[in-house]
This record gives sequence, structure tokens and C-alpha cells, in this order.
Amino acid sequence: MSREGYQVPTASAGSGAVARGSTGMQDTRSSIMSYLCGDCGGSVHLGKDSTVACPHCAGRVLYKERTKRMVQFEAR
Amino acid sequence: MAPSTKAQWAQPPSKEELERRNTVNINKETVTNTVSTDFPGHFPGEDHAFSIDRFQSGFDITFHQNDQFHASFSLVGIDASLANAFRRILIAEIPTLAIENVFITNNTSVIQDEVLAHRLGLIPFKGGREGLRNFLRFKKGEDAQDYDTVQLDLNVTCTVNTDASPNETDPLKAYHNAHVYAKDITFTPQGRQEQYFSGEDAIVPVNPDILIAKMRPRQTIELSMYMNLGVGSDHSKFSPVATASYRLMPTIKITKPIIGADAQKFANCFPEGVIGLEKVSKKEAGQRGSGYEGHAGELKAVVVDPMRDTVSRECLRHEEFEGKVQLGRRRDHFIFSVESTGQWDSDELFLEAVKKLKQKCKKLEDQVDNMVR
Repeated sequence: MSREGYQVPTASAGSGAVARGSTGMQDTRSSIMSYLCGDCGGSVHLGKDSTVACPHCAGRVLYKERTKRMVQFEAR
Repeated sequence: MAPSTKAQWAQPPSKEELERRNTVNINKETVTNTVSTDFPGHFPGEDHAFSIDRFQSGFDITFHQNDQFHASFSLVGIDASLANAFRRILIAEIPTLAIENVFITNNTSVIQDEVLAHRLGLIPFKGGREGLRNFLRFKKGEDAQDYDTVQLDLNVTCTVNTDASPNETDPLKAYHNAHVYAKDITFTPQGRQEQYFSGEDAIVPVNPDILIAKMRPRQTIELSMYMNLGVGSDHSKFSPVATASYRLMPTIKITKPIIGADAQKFANCFPEGVIGLEKVSKKEAGQRGSGYEGHAGELKAVVVDPMRDTVSRECLRHEEFEGKVQLGRRRDHFIFSVESTGQWDSDELFLEAVKKLKQKCKKLEDQVDNMVR
């Protein structure tokens, strides 16, 4: 599943939701996000509890990566 | 009034009267006689009903310039409403192919996605005539077909040029693909497009050196584009002309002689080549009341080429020319200038405009028929 594979949590957790089972594993995977450092330009992987700073240059400004999906525009 | 003499209005109009009606007067601070009067019922006893024979006998087209992308020609003996219809059709109703959708997979250049898409849309393209005119159709519905959509791609990445000297300051030499040009766009024929748009007829930008974006090393643009047919009334990127305009033929009438130093000054009031200088002949000088008496051998101003005049009215600002010159424009002489963006030849564009107007008239005729039925 891609980085943007966010799924809206279903309210009706009755039938199928438990059967998916692997929710715990999915959580750890999606909690690691990749950012771009504003100072050095390198890519930074951040976990859930890690400090918001670049490990290479200690820069604290991080940018979200551009989506890997195609974006459509009208040429107008 | 003697019964034998006809009333003045019953006489056919004189040549002077016709010329007066056909001239827009351009005075020092005003423009007068601007409205055309050649329609039925305006002049008692005169028949101004439109007929195709009368139009044909009075109509004339002359080409002044006919380059591939710039045509200039005169339409004489046509009403402003028709001339203006042609101009408007040229600008807004002749279909051309232009980029309509941009699918951006990656764009790390400094130019924003929206702005980049807009810039791409404005690039004029050319391609095989047969394919553009007869094969391609307007897009209907959602799905792209080979007869209504043309696919283009643009994939460029800027890299450091290792061959360049480390002190190189010119980005074009220091990096590869520092500038993204229209020529970097590639065309991928789909389906039957192979037959119509291959080799010479491939769909390529008319001007390969249009700058799309500037980049620095590690920046990249990766996108594909869909082109559709469209008309200028939808978006001006679809307009086949850069300019399509007309002006009325200027007239300059020297009513009293302008001689000597004044003549030179008079000529300087106009663009070059409009006013010429001629020597006053002995015959003219000998003629009484001509205004040239005793000026034999001096220079006089004559009108050589009024078409080149810009009608700046400079000559009306000087006291010495007061009452000696009458500026105007011919009401039924339209000097067109059609500049193509490259997908059509400019003379072909005018023919297409005529065709389009004819189609519209046919459509109207059908609808009037239906109304009467």
C-alpha cells in the first residue's frame, strides 16, 4: 500500500473490522512518515514519538513530500 | 418650380455625392459622417436593396502581402457588419488543437503546477493538415479516442554538466536541461494518428524555442498532456490568429495647393511615402485660379500612397495647412491584417472564416424555413 493509503475508519466495527486483524501492524507502518529537511534537503523519516528534527543537520523545518500520485490540471 | 425640372432628390446621386457618403470625415478634434447610409429607404427614390449581383459588381479583394503566417489584403465594397463578422470568426470560431489537460506526475521546479499547466496550454502547435482538418473531431464524452485526443509528454531532469569548467557561471553550460523549451515536448501517436501525424506531419510546437521553465540540478518535470480541438470563444489558446484586425483606407485630399517649404513640412507630417513632392509644371502655373500662378518650378505636395498613412492628424495641427487638406477614411475599404499562430496558413484562415459564415447563414436559413412551415 502506498504512503497515501489512508483509510477512513469505519464506524460499524461489528462484522468485518475485527476480521481484518492486522490493524496493529498497519499502524506501525503508517506512523513512519518521510519528510524533506528545509535546511539540507535530505529526506527524514520520522516515527510516532521521534523529535521533529533532521538527524543530519538538526534542522527543525521539515516539509511534507509531494504526492507520488498523478495530479490533473486544466491548461487554462 | 418648372414642371419639366425634376426635384433634386429624384436625380441619381452625383459622383461627388457618392464619394461624400462613402467617406468618414476626420477633422481636427472630431470624426463625422461615421454611419453608413446605403440601406433601403434612407434616400428617397434610390434603391439600396441588397442583391448578390450588385454586391458582386462592387466587391474587390487585393492582396498586399501573403506570407505563410501573415497576410494583408483589402476588401473593397463590403459593409462593416460583414467585415467585422469575418474578423470575429477569425478570432473566435475557427477550431485549433491546443493542450487542454495536463497530468503532472512530478514537478520539483520552482514553477507551480497550475502556472506550468497554463503556460503549456498557450503553446501553439502544428501538424499534418489532413489530420488536423479532417481526421480530428471535437471531443464528446469522457473517453479519449484517437480521433479527438492527442497525447504529448514532457520528461526533463536538470543535471550537472561534468564537462563544464567548475567556474562556469552560465547555467546553460554548467547544467544539462537548465532551460525547458517547447522542443522538449514529445508526441506519442495513438491508433490511427500514426497515418496522419508521422514524419513531417508530426505534432510539434510551431516555435521550438518557447521557454517553459528554468531548472537547477536535481529538479525535474515529469508530465503528460492531452490536446483537444477547441474554439477561441472558449479560451484564447484555441484562437488560430495572433492578431486579426482591419482598418479603413485613409484618404487625404489636398484642396488648395501646398507649395515650397510648406510642401516639405506637409510631407514631414505623414509617414514616409505617403506624400510626395513634385515640381509645379508651366501649364499649371499658367492656369488662372489654380493657385499655382507664378510658382512654376517650385515643389508642390501630392498624395502618393494614402494606405501607408496612420491618420495621426499631425497636419491638422499646423496653421499653414488650415483649409488646405481634408483627411478621411473610405467607409467600405477594409485593410485586413491576419497573423496566424502557426496551425493554419493565414490566407487559408480567411477562406475558412468565409466558409464558417456561410455555414451559419445556411443554419439560419433552415431555421427560418422551419418557422414559416
